[in-house]
Amino acid sequence: MNRFRIFLSSAIFSYRAQFSWLNPSMWLTMKFVLSLSQMAFFVFIGRFIQGPPVIPFIAIGNALQTLSWNTVFSVINITSHDKWDGTLPLVLATPASRLPLFMGRAMIHVLDGMLSVAISFVFAAFLFGVDFRNANALALTVTVLLTAFTMAGFGLLIGGLSFYFREPLIFANIFLFTLLIFCGVNFPVDDLPELIRPVSYIFPLTYGVTATRKAIEGQTLFDISNFLGQQLVVGLISMMLGYLFFRTFEHVARKTGRLEAI
Amino acid sequence: MPQTLRVIYSAFRMAMLHWIADPQWVIPNIIAPFVFTTVALTLFKETTGPFGLYAVLGGGMMGMWGNTLYSSGFAIEFEKWQGTLEEVMAAPSKLLHVITGRAVSNALFGLTNMVAVLVIAALGFKISLGIADPLLFAVSLVLTLLSVSALGLIFASAFVLSRSAQTLTNGLEIPLYLISGSMFPIALLPFWVHPAAYVLGPTWGIDAIRLATSQEYISQTFWAGVDPKIAIAFDLAVMFLITSVYAAIATVLFKMVEKRARTTGTLVEA
Repeated sequence: MNRFRIFLSSAIFSYRAQFSWLNPSMWLTMKFVLSLSQMAFFVFIGRFIQGPPVIPFIAIGNALQTLSWNTVFSVINITSHDKWDGTLPLVLATPASRLPLFMGRAMIHVLDGMLSVAISFVFAAFLFGVDFRNANALALTVTVLLTAFTMAGFGLLIGGLSFYFREPLIFANIFLFTLLIFCGVNFPVDDLPELIRPVSYIFPLTYGVTATRKAIEGQTLFDISNFLGQQLVVGLISMMLGYLFFRTFEHVARKTGRLEAI
Repeated sequence: MPQTLRVIYSAFRMAMLHWIADPQWVIPNIIAPFVFTTVALTLFKETTGPFGLYAVLGGGMMGMWGNTLYSSGFAIEFEKWQGTLEEVMAAPSKLLHVITGRAVSNALFGLTNMVAVLVIAALGFKISLGIADPLLFAVSLVLTLLSVSALGLIFASAFVLSRSAQTLTNGLEIPLYLISGSMFPIALLPFWVHPAAYVLGPTWGIDAIRLATSQEYISQTFWAGVDPKIAIAFDLAVMFLITSVYAAIATVLFKMVEKRARTTGTLVEA
């Protein structure tokens, strides 16, 4: 029960904390303006180069990628603000169990990320003509949920790693946008040079994007289960590594007394 | 050197020194344009014609945009964080001139993105980077840089005058890339978006830059059917007019900022 309470309070606090840098109007801007403009930008490029048939591919990819703003950018930013706001010593001084404390930091962002995807799907359907009539609702919902969850794990990994660096925000920017190159959001992963293609498969989003397109085509949960299984494995590994970084950082900080200097 | 230019140059130099001292901040400002261009180049890979250079030039433009939006938008905030805003305000130099120097340096730093994109395009995507008219290209680039800087001045003052300007600054980056047609012809956008594109100076700037690079683009511009050199002259003239309007708006806004700072004494706390 105590662990659940820690998990819950960590989740709520970390979500509320983001509103110190993200006021409600900016939150709404990110939800509606950013998601629409990013999708439209790539849709128009795709249309210019390859013609209308490429529109659904790009619109769906970008719709799913919007959850990265929540699960990657916001989650990494928690680390950044812990440092700048001076709350890091308090977090590390608390006797609370570390695992629920660590996991809780990302969890409401999972729900927020799913909301972003839902809004983007509406844009994709009504503005860019993506056909959802054959979509398998169960497969699509599970895919979006799992993608948000595993990407939050990836956010925790980068957040944990960036404890060691002065500006976690820079990591947030780099990883948020490189997902657009590696995860098959705007073009198939096979279009990447062979040398860098394996990098795609360390990001849970790559599996999520493929599974989402298939679920919208009408494939069932069973049909896409191999993608979801691989995604879950990658996501859990990310989460575990992130937790390892978090604990290692804590250990180093206690040992050297350089809690915020790293 | 006239006093105004001396102030602008000093602010420009200080901004450059800040960037050199803490270059990590270049990354968030240019990462989006850089990634967007790489994505576009990958999409352009299978096509023929001058599309590759279209993406490269658009990416460079976006680099200037991105850097100007963020850095100029935060120019006064930056002085506040450093604790130097009081000194800047108390100095006999105008705040507008100080921030102008900073805005020009920001746009110039945005060009680092263009260099990075050119290198990637040439080495990774084997895109030919020939420029038909290097002189017109250079002139168009410098004037576009000044136009972006002038827009940056408006953002810098708006940020101080309105709390919601922060939202505007953060939310404007990708919409501006979209509206200004940095990566595709504006004609593809819905008709009702066109007026918004045409009041942006850099929209005309990127048009002139593209035409100076290759005359093949003339069919995709506002001036389709006109001689390319005359079209460039039209582009630059329209951009000059728009930039003058930006400068006038920025002057008025900065006067409001200075007046508010001196009457309320709350600028630093705002």
